[in-house]
Amino acid sequence: MSENHEHRTPVSLSGLSPDDPHLQPAARNPRLVERNIAISFLAGIILIVVFVYAYIINAKPWTLGITLGGGLTLFGIGLIAWGKYLMPRGPFVEERHKLASSDEAREAMANAVVVRGGSVIKRRKMLGGLLGGGLGLFSLAALLPLLRSLGPLPKQTLDHTDWKPGSYAVDITGRRVHQDDLAVGSIVTVFPEGFENTDNGQAVDQTVIIRISNNDFTTMKGRESWAPKGYLAYSKLCTHLGCPVGLYEQQLQVLVCPCHQSMFNVNDGAMPTFGPAPRPLPQLPLYIDASGYLRAQKDFDQPVGPGFWERS
Amino acid sequence: MSSANTKRAKKQALGPYGKVGQAINELDERLGIAKGGRTFMDKIFPDHWSFMLGEIALYSFVVLLVTGIFLTLYFVPSSALTTYNGAYGPLDGQRVTEAFASTVNLSFAVRCGLLMRQMHHWACDIFVGSIVIHMARVFFTGAFRKPRELNWTIGMTLLILAIANGFLGYSLPDDLVSGTGIRIAYSIILAVPVVGTYLGFFLFGGNFPGTVIIPRFFALHVLIIPLIILGLVGFHLFLLVRQKHTQFPGPGKTEDNVVGTPMFPVFMAKTTGFLLFVGGFIALLSAIFQINPIWQFGPYDAARISYAVQPDWYMGFLDGALRIMPSWSFHSFGYTIPLEVTIPAVIFPGILFTVAMAWPGIERKITGDHAMHNLLDRPSLRPKRTAFGAAVFSFLAMLFIASATDVIANFFHISLNTVLWAMRILCVVTPFITYPVAKKIAEEIGALKGGGKRKTTNVVSLTPEGEYIAIPAPAYVDDEHQHLEPTTVPAFIADDETVGATESTGTRVVER
Amino acid sequence: MKISSLKRYVAAGAVVVVAASPLLLLAGPSSADSTTTTSTSTTTTTAPLPTLYSSSTKSVYNTNRQNSGLPNSDNVTTDPTSGAVTSYGDSAITYNIPSSSLLNTGEELYMQNCASCHGTEANGVPASGTSGAFPNLVGLGPATIDFWIESGRMPAANPRAVQAVRGTGKLSSEQAQAVAAWVNSLDPSYPGIPTPNLKIANVSNGAALFALNCAACHTIEGDGDALASSTYAPSLRNIPAFQVVEAIRTGPGNMPRFTGNLDDYQVNDIVKYVTTEIQHPNNPGGFGLGGLGPVAEGFVGLALGLGLLALVGFWVGERE
Repeated sequence: MSENHEHRTPVSLSGLSPDDPHLQPAARNPRLVERNIAISFLAGIILIVVFVYAYIINAKPWTLGITLGGGLTLFGIGLIAWGKYLMPRGPFVEERHKLASSDEAREAMANAVVVRGGSVIKRRKMLGGLLGGGLGLFSLAALLPLLRSLGPLPKQTLDHTDWKPGSYAVDITGRRVHQDDLAVGSIVTVFPEGFENTDNGQAVDQTVIIRISNNDFTTMKGRESWAPKGYLAYSKLCTHLGCPVGLYEQQLQVLVCPCHQSMFNVNDGAMPTFGPAPRPLPQLPLYIDASGYLRAQKDFDQPVGPGFWERS
Repeated sequence: MSSANTKRAKKQALGPYGKVGQAINELDERLGIAKGGRTFMDKIFPDHWSFMLGEIALYSFVVLLVTGIFLTLYFVPSSALTTYNGAYGPLDGQRVTEAFASTVNLSFAVRCGLLMRQMHHWACDIFVGSIVIHMARVFFTGAFRKPRELNWTIGMTLLILAIANGFLGYSLPDDLVSGTGIRIAYSIILAVPVVGTYLGFFLFGGNFPGTVIIPRFFALHVLIIPLIILGLVGFHLFLLVRQKHTQFPGPGKTEDNVVGTPMFPVFMAKTTGFLLFVGGFIALLSAIFQINPIWQFGPYDAARISYAVQPDWYMGFLDGALRIMPSWSFHSFGYTIPLEVTIPAVIFPGILFTVAMAWPGIERKITGDHAMHNLLDRPSLRPKRTAFGAAVFSFLAMLFIASATDVIANFFHISLNTVLWAMRILCVVTPFITYPVAKKIAEEIGALKGGGKRKTTNVVSLTPEGEYIAIPAPAYVDDEHQHLEPTTVPAFIADDETVGATESTGTRVVER
Repeated sequence: MKISSLKRYVAAGAVVVVAASPLLLLAGPSSADSTTTTSTSTTTTTAPLPTLYSSSTKSVYNTNRQNSGLPNSDNVTTDPTSGAVTSYGDSAITYNIPSSSLLNTGEELYMQNCASCHGTEANGVPASGTSGAFPNLVGLGPATIDFWIESGRMPAANPRAVQAVRGTGKLSSEQAQAVAAWVNSLDPSYPGIPTPNLKIANVSNGAALFALNCAACHTIEGDGDALASSTYAPSLRNIPAFQVVEAIRTGPGNMPRFTGNLDDYQVNDIVKYVTTEIQHPNNPGGFGLGGLGPVAEGFVGLALGLGLLALVGFWVGERE
């Protein structure tokens, strides 16, 4: 066995003689290790220099990254090896001191808090109460600028969209949709005219029109006039979490929400048949005007999009 | 000649420690750092490899800070629309937000810009991941017990803040994928009963999307949350230094000492080296693997959507929970509680993180153990805790897998509906299977003679008679660990009564 | 601790990297081959057809919108003798009706490969029990037939599958057009087989249109994904330009069709985007990880990144 084969109990740092085995490097051949670490550092330096050059010539990101990363990594490896193999290898030990203070100190602190503090409160109860109440009121009042100033009250905003009776259905380019435009099996995303480039238009009013047939289509009782010539309109906002339900499978006649795969049956009022969505997509009643353009009869009959507390 | 004398005289006047000693004297006269500095330098750190996991978190956070500062100099946190006219062709002429345009510009037109962006994003993934495995190490070894409960709570808070900041950060470029995430976050806020719509409208300055959410996310992501994280990390490390690190039981290690390497120079060298390594490694990762190519996703538009949109991995468990939740919705008296959202996205993470935060207290109550613990548990010796942790992790892992139902269905050519039902069942069943299995494994390992210790090889040799015999040998030659024996450790610090006294033997007594 | 044990960690790290390398196979696009062949001929032997498109179109894909895949487009070429439309279109896309010289070949090929399922008169077999319908092919136009055959989905390798898979296909491009010519001759219709003119396409407009119309099924990266009930949106990494037009205009299978809601210029832009950015993605940041997004990134970050870092931590620290 080598000279390292000896018992090494942990010792404390102070009071060690310089040739104590605990202070010796862990490596059996420190010169070799030192040489290897030097090579590592040198290679790192070279890579950093190459990085500087790569930066100057505007090299690709991967070149910049490999040189920078390689350089840093080599420095790191060298430094770790230095600490591990060339520095005092220990193991060293240190006492843990009781974290707690002495009993007298604890008593003194408790005394200060309870007796000194108590004497104040006991004698000036009314003041203490008023101050406490006042600060409490302030903390509530502070919520006002912190929270309330952030934005408007919701009021009825979530209950309506911009679809009005007679709104033209336009696509993203602003072109009105005509009854002769789509073949059966087509889908197009529409907005009320004038709102196709607004935030609210895109976020709330977004609607899909699906041509499901060449004849008037009824999804459920009471909606006989809502889908003239087979043009069926549903809100594009998923009732689960508001993702646009743009995924239409024309043979299965199902709208699938791409986010969490809720599936809505297009034939019967977009009833959810699978997945986490709880409510059907609201249907937009359409009519075809004298020139043949698709227009809304009125707004949706319920709030669009995901559920919220006030949604009745 | 006389100058040489003066030089030597000057050198001698400096004292035996030269200029450095002089500098320390000057600082000590003003700040009183000598005593504390020496104590700090002598601090012993146990250096088991599993204690490095927290360091990965710390150093990836450093990378986040440095690269983040770079990014703030180029990113424009504004939802104002502009026409992109930059280096990336497929976006040329499109109306995009300033936030998106500045991020694309940063990626294509700024030198080192893409590298910094990718380093920032990879560092974030690694940051949250290392916090999780560090937390797991602390949990399974019982390091959260008295006196370290506060540190555990700080750590859990850091985890929550890291996840939140990650979400805010990758939502800043306002691209199609992260914008969808913001839409979902808005809907989740709306789903909170009673106050949901108010919270949503306050945070977003109105209905979705509004124009203030990106600037607000920016303020949160760059200023508010990093400040809190920095403060908490500082406090976390302070507590660690004050209470000293825990250590595994072993020869020479007791509840009342710490065995390891001193701060200066060994630990400092190793940890600085590790910092350089983590930084360099993240740079290498960013050079080789592309992450978050927002130019391919395009700008966020509320009417656009892509299939297979995922949040970053640390939010994946929430996405999975949202997917598998059945479509229950509570609706009566004119009010709606969308349980299909509230349960997986509000109640479930609330319970999860509350229990996690309160775990030291819960375990104290269950085990009745109020003692101080500076020695760690081997996980196999605490089968119930290990099994419970394994069950929780397996549940979260199942939820994470559930967020990829469409990828699984696509890859294995199974129907999406089948995969979802399978995930629903698996998520519920898995923790109940994991608990007894993990408990049994832990018990078996714990009961094994020599379990948890280094295995030794058998050296096979041929006797002169021609017989092969196997003799256990040390794991390798010069393995000193086999030979450590517990002995009494020489006292280093004198008792309180002799504070300030000096002994005639020249042993220096240090005040604590 | 010996230096040679360092080699163990390097070896372990190499194992991790090698194990993660299959992920690298997902990176990078596969090459796209864009073969566009069209046939133009001005001879015909079929019965006289209406000379120009009228509103009572014979196409399933009817639209009144100009330049939307039907003969109401800028340029229409008709056969001088029969008056049948042989090609039409605009500067963005030209649609060709396959020549009637292919009819005999087409009929022969059809009877060999297709009639067993779709019937000798190409009017299909209705759905019965659990088997799906073998669809009626009459009146669907040449582009439909050509798309299904040239993308290798027909003749179906597995007729009972929910959705046919793209493949190299049994029939060549010319054979496919011959079959399309014959089936079309039974009840001539539109659209014809398209040739997009990518030179005038605007890739930026294509990106915006793709994100609005196509990404919901095919994903923004164009990788495709699983949809409801064992159907799926296929990957777009391997599709030639003219087949993109065919798919958009005819809406094969569960894919919706885009007739009057996209004109030829818009479709051309989308095709340019698909054949350039999707099939040759710009990945300046390194390996694209297959465009799978945060799922793949998380895997690489955790398994490869954190795994290797923890391994190095194993070297930095001690075992006991």
